[in-house]
Amino acid sequence: MKSPLRLERRLTQPKKLNWLVPLISIAAALALGAIVLLLTGKNPLSAYHRILETAFTSKSSFSGTLVSATPLAFTGLCAALTFRAGIINIGGEGQFFMGAVGATLAGLALSGQPTAIIILSMVVMGALFGGLYAVIAGVLKAKFNTNEIITTLMLNYLAGIFLNYLIFGSTSYWRDPQSMGFPTGKQLQPRAFWPSLHIVGFTVPLGFLLATILGMLLWFLYARTRFGYEVNVIADAPSAARYAGMRTRWKIISVMAIAGAVAGFGGASDVGDFRHVLDAKGLQLAGYGYTGIVVAALARYNPVSAVTVAILMGGLTNAGYALQGPNFPSGLVGTLQGLILFTAVAGEVLTRYRIRTQKSGALSEVAA
Amino acid sequence: MSEKIAVRMSGIVKRFPGVIANDGVNFDAREGEVHALLGENGAGKSTLSNILTGLYRPDNGEIELNGESISFSSPRAALNAGIGMVHQHFRLVSSFTVAENVVLGDESTGTFLNAGDVAQKVEELSQRYNLAVDPRARVWQLSVGEQQRVEILKVLYRGARILILDEPTAVLTPQEADALFITLRAMVKEGRTVIFISHKLDEVMAVSDRVTVLRGGRTVGTIETAHSSRRELARLMVGREVVFDRVERKINSSDKETVLRVNAVSALDDRGNKALNDVSLTIKTGEVLGVAGVSGNGQRELAEVIAGMRHASAGTISVNEKEIPNGKVRHAISAGIAHVPEDRLHTGLASSHSIEDNLILKSYRTQPISRYSVLRRKAIQENASQLVEQYDVKTPSTETPVRLLSGGNVQKVLLAREFSANPKVLIAASPTRGLDVGAIENVRSHIVAAADSGVGVLLISEDLEELLSLSDRIVVLYEGRIVGDLPTSSATRESLGLLMGGVALEEHTS
Amino acid sequence: MNKRLTRKWLPAVAVLGLGVSLVACGSSKSDTASDASTTDTAAATADTMASTTDTAAPDATAVGSTSWDTNFTPWKDGKPVNCKPATGPLKAAWIYVGPINDGGWTQAHHEGLKAVQAKFGDQVVTTYKENIPEGPQVLTTIDQLVKDGNTVIFGTSFGFQDAFVTAAGKYPNVCFEFETGFKSAANLSQAYGAGEDGDYLAGMAAGAASKTGKVGYLAPFAIPEVIRGVNAFTLGVRNINPAATVQVVWTGTWFDPAKERQAAESLISAGVDAISSAQDSPAAGEAAKAKSIPWVGYDSDQNANFPEVWLTATTYHWGVYEVPRIQQVLDGTWVAGDYYGGLDDGFVKMATFGKLVSADTQAKILAKQAELAANSGSQFTGPIKAQDGTEKIAAGASASYGDLMGMNYLVEGVLGDLPKS
Repeated sequence: MKSPLRLERRLTQPKKLNWLVPLISIAAALALGAIVLLLTGKNPLSAYHRILETAFTSKSSFSGTLVSATPLAFTGLCAALTFRAGIINIGGEGQFFMGAVGATLAGLALSGQPTAIIILSMVVMGALFGGLYAVIAGVLKAKFNTNEIITTLMLNYLAGIFLNYLIFGSTSYWRDPQSMGFPTGKQLQPRAFWPSLHIVGFTVPLGFLLATILGMLLWFLYARTRFGYEVNVIADAPSAARYAGMRTRWKIISVMAIAGAVAGFGGASDVGDFRHVLDAKGLQLAGYGYTGIVVAALARYNPVSAVTVAILMGGLTNAGYALQGPNFPSGLVGTLQGLILFTAVAGEVLTRYRIRTQKSGALSEVAA
Repeated sequence: MSEKIAVRMSGIVKRFPGVIANDGVNFDAREGEVHALLGENGAGKSTLSNILTGLYRPDNGEIELNGESISFSSPRAALNAGIGMVHQHFRLVSSFTVAENVVLGDESTGTFLNAGDVAQKVEELSQRYNLAVDPRARVWQLSVGEQQRVEILKVLYRGARILILDEPTAVLTPQEADALFITLRAMVKEGRTVIFISHKLDEVMAVSDRVTVLRGGRTVGTIETAHSSRRELARLMVGREVVFDRVERKINSSDKETVLRVNAVSALDDRGNKALNDVSLTIKTGEVLGVAGVSGNGQRELAEVIAGMRHASAGTISVNEKEIPNGKVRHAISAGIAHVPEDRLHTGLASSHSIEDNLILKSYRTQPISRYSVLRRKAIQENASQLVEQYDVKTPSTETPVRLLSGGNVQKVLLAREFSANPKVLIAASPTRGLDVGAIENVRSHIVAAADSGVGVLLISEDLEELLSLSDRIVVLYEGRIVGDLPTSSATRESLGLLMGGVALEEHTS
Repeated sequence: MNKRLTRKWLPAVAVLGLGVSLVACGSSKSDTASDASTTDTAAATADTMASTTDTAAPDATAVGSTSWDTNFTPWKDGKPVNCKPATGPLKAAWIYVGPINDGGWTQAHHEGLKAVQAKFGDQVVTTYKENIPEGPQVLTTIDQLVKDGNTVIFGTSFGFQDAFVTAAGKYPNVCFEFETGFKSAANLSQAYGAGEDGDYLAGMAAGAASKTGKVGYLAPFAIPEVIRGVNAFTLGVRNINPAATVQVVWTGTWFDPAKERQAAESLISAGVDAISSAQDSPAAGEAAKAKSIPWVGYDSDQNANFPEVWLTATTYHWGVYEVPRIQQVLDGTWVAGDYYGGLDDGFVKMATFGKLVSADTQAKILAKQAELAANSGSQFTGPIKAQDGTEKIAAGASASYGDLMGMNYLVEGVLGDLPKS
């Protein structure tokens, strides 16, 4: 082995790494980013200042960050739940779409009802549509041991085609019959719009608030209930789960249903909070489901962290839009965003492995 | 055996976070000797051999090879210097042939293999060292013993002068083990050095020239095997006197009621072949029923059917004469069936989870561990600290993952959980396999204590000594049938051995 | 001039919210950028083409010569909005759905930005945001742009429309320009152009290029804007060859090179010997080039890349509208309204003619171009019959604005059905 450094798996993960590594990751990202910026003739300090300001520090910017974070919080939770259970559910995307379909149906059909009833119905229908859609892949995995990566991915495409059919390919209930030009969905009545909350000067979308509460509930579900305990054992030691009499198949289906419902909830929030219409094209371009997987991975599949990471991701996204312009190509913005994500993942490796140098026998740990 | 030192390790120190695995170990092996490295699990044997083969780097200390100080940067460097290791877990590509596996990773081979040459060379080696294996066979076709021979051939093919074997007999039948010992003798006769890692006293006595005993990461001493005894080695290894006598207990079960009844049970194995064929047996309260048999004759399926993990295709299981539903683990648990499975780390326990979580694996559905589907953290912690203390589990904390515990402590966690449910029946499958002497003693005393308190025990083991010393009665499984049922008093190693081999003893069959 | 007459009541239609859409989705509609520097494409091309020896002089007074504002109508009761900053230069921003170098829709808009910057120099600071997804981020991006001091904001994707309407209400002192949609506000304008005029001219080129009279057409979606293009193209083909047919294939996508190429290949193997693709990628051109089939592109001039098969294409030139609008902001005379550019003011232009377009055909096209420039939409003068022979526009009658904007039938000569909905 020629490399002077090598990785050794840690036997235990020291607790301090949980906060130390992210800090060092961010520092490393900023340092690497500064090099890139200097090489391209930009001032790193002003760029960083702008990122911070446009993503987090100003009240209106942070409100925008929450807008971007909301769908990611839901899809991040969806991915975290299933990945934590050892199910590689790539289908948050399609489940999100279906949730939007269900919620729009409720929002349009109940337009005469009081706002609270409309919102509640949208949530229920969104969760139902997303949950049932995820259950398809769950049942296939539980009963026939079908690879859920493939099925969920296929179902994503199918959901996209279904959206196209509803808006472009048919005169469905969701399509605006008056959109004679480019086909669009039927707009919700303003009374079906989800209200934003104004908390100490920040505008918080109702969906974001609900996602935060949901994140805490799901954390409780996984960390403090029989259900969560069983899911954890099934994920890490399937044989022990069988030994303890856990109903593995049923649990797989349940986890998929819950995760799908969470993604579907996100679809409902997307319609109710922001788009107010079934936006077939916009939803497919957004890729919330896939970004959600990144969010979940960075959150180490912890539901509460997933919401936090969604905020960071939303901030990073918005800062990216704010930063770019004639003097700041969007490619450079993408490079900075990529660097930050890359160092975050690299930092994650450091919590599980440690670096040893070959030269000396002495233990030399990086980041610890 | 010459007096020339082939390898010397002095003052080896190796620390892991929170643990000192090697704390100043001194060790030397001569040319042409089988040198046993004896110690309980966790004594530092594996760490030492991993240092010698370049997998770890010592924090302190020195390695001399043929009198010259040396330091390895990788296993490959060690191999190039003539040190080869045969691991406990094989590193073979099962779809490749034996010959292909032997040359795999050998840099001296060019891009293209000359299959004929390699096969011929492998054949020569295997004849020279009594390592019977067909170089053209694919690895998946081989028995475990044959696969081990391939591992040894791999090391010999690269020209290793020093061979380290890590618990090589753990996976072998007694006959295969004997064949291995002949191989080892043949190798040392040529001046090679064999370092034989084990915690089994019998085989250390049988095969080694000298023994170095490790305990707690330190060298206890090196002695000539011929001048030692089993008892002395055991004392050095454990640090106190160890009694090997039969466990004495009151055998008085004839007038007691039947606690477990297995009635005409048949079952299939994972591949759908018939693994159990019309098996019937009964256990009375306080009785230990031994199940003997060569591995793979239905023992595993028998344990799983009783524990509800496997569907019986025919027959019934009753506890206290009450039939329990077929293939339902939860019903088996609530009927009072405790189960210590063979695969402790992956079936009996969720090894990456904490001790706390593992101790509730069967009670998490019930009060006080959970209420209204919510786990009660406090009750779980209390449960864990109480059991850890009661069963003397050595661990830094109850939150420590089970996989970080030593084998003996892993088994203690499992036993603690199973016994804490106050079972009526205990199924124990190879409960002492792979444990060191001290831990074996501990496990056996727990089983005996359980029986004494009225638990009916089904003890499945391949260790005849264990069966003979613990059981009241012994049944023999052969090809899924019970071919013998005899009181321990009238069983001998010989009679059991014949039954296990499928030779029916007319007077013993039930 | 019926076109401009009908335009007068357009704002009322839009304000009434009849949902009349002028165009389709912006995200992928592409447009030319390569010839932005060309000021008078058709005439200049005709002069430079080697094969062109004797081009009839086009009616220069009509094509690309009128002022943009002949095609602009302020909203009813529209009042000037002062969005010029009290101090410092005017800041104007463009929000794009795609990257600025997409070779199509976004790039064409970016050429408009460049034209503005070149024209006004220090007076105006332009900026842009690219790759902005349709969705809640649009409003966030507008918020940020307003915060950064931008007072004129251009939106270039149909999916941005609702965010722009919201923003227009939120920021009454910012001028919003939308390219392209149909909703209006006191400080929100709409802009697009008469692509169907160009499509007719392109159809003439294809009709002349086809020997068998079988022409193929790749159409994205069966929506009025696209149907209008198919029909205009077909009328153009039949202007040259009255017996010709146009086989249409609905691709169901604005941009999907693999699918487009596949559709083009299937049309070619079905026997067409000239092909037009109203798609955003030049994939159909690849298929055409492989089989040496003359090809009409869309949104961008691909003459340099496909000289063997290139005929021409309809292209849009946003600077024609954007530059004078910025001038109005500087002058304090900006009023929100509706713009529908055409051949007359140079917003719609034909791309350069390929070498396959004979001098004779070019002359015919240029003559017709002058006619359409003077009277946009006149190619739909009756009698216009649908596929089944029913008369849609009576003989001698002009197409009304509603006829054009709500076109939902295929004209005689088109083969293929509208997808059932």
